[in-house]
Amino acid sequence: MPDDDLPFDVAGCLQRVRQRDQAAARELVDHLYPLVIRIVRSHLPRRVPEEDLAQEIFLKMFTRLEQYQGAVPFPHWVSRIAVTTCIDHLRAQKRRPEFRMADLSETEADVLSNVMTNENEVPANDAMAAHELVHKLLDQLKPDDQLVIRLLDLEQKTIAEISAQTGWNQSLIKVRAFRARRKLQKLFQELQKKERS
Amino acid sequence: MNLNDPRHPWARLTAAARTVQDDRDTAAPYGFATRVSALAMADKRGVSSLFERFALRALAVACLLTVGTVATNYSVVSSFFSNRDEAMSVPNSGGEDPVAELIDVASNVTID
Repeated sequence: MPDDDLPFDVAGCLQRVRQRDQAAARELVDHLYPLVIRIVRSHLPRRVPEEDLAQEIFLKMFTRLEQYQGAVPFPHWVSRIAVTTCIDHLRAQKRRPEFRMADLSETEADVLSNVMTNENEVPANDAMAAHELVHKLLDQLKPDDQLVIRLLDLEQKTIAEISAQTGWNQSLIKVRAFRARRKLQKLFQELQKKERS
Repeated sequence: MNLNDPRHPWARLTAAARTVQDDRDTAAPYGFATRVSALAMADKRGVSSLFERFALRALAVACLLTVGTVATNYSVVSSFFSNRDEAMSVPNSGGEDPVAELIDVASNVTID
């Protein structure tokens, strides 16, 4: 078991993993699990258990380990694998369910109605409903666009941080953010029309 | 009003959503690392041993079969090569040079 006081020696661990040391592989998984599971939880496709997805990501990591040249920090390299795996699963689901007011819970519908009709902050006790609502709205976007908006608006990451995490260039991220915001804007306009009528 | 405007419904919804703390445990479940590392190592071993098993054994079997086939059919193989040598040899009629004959024939051909 690695000592928690010492910084984790990624390079040394990778060297041992390459020599087929199973204990080192176990240590690497334990060390990277929090990073991977956070990515999985924030981009988890519907109906896919998080542990299965995490396992798939780690197996991909071990399979591609020989390709890692050290150009980026190892956690960044793993987070790219995690992000692309989540996106692949989201793409595989293909059809995004249409956003319908009828599918919202009573609290979610109230929160949505309130933010559409006034400019007040969402009350703290409705934060969970707002959280669910945001995810349902994001489900309307393409997987790549969802990811960019989640990272920008929910995790408040910078374009440079998103680029490091996904491996996409900054222009592409800006284009995806622009496209996603336009789609969300259109969705809100439709919802406002419904609200008025 | 665009989405970045703090008064936009989206901006207020995301601001509220950010206050929700995900307090789920981020440590690997018991046995997860052992299972994944074992699967990863087994997978690597599988790929290399498959190659060794199939490629090297197939090469050895192919060599044995070739040697066995040549040994059992040695007479046929040797007669084939001796016949081939005879067939390839050009009969030298009248002791003349075949190349000179060929040039001679070619020079007699007239093109209309």
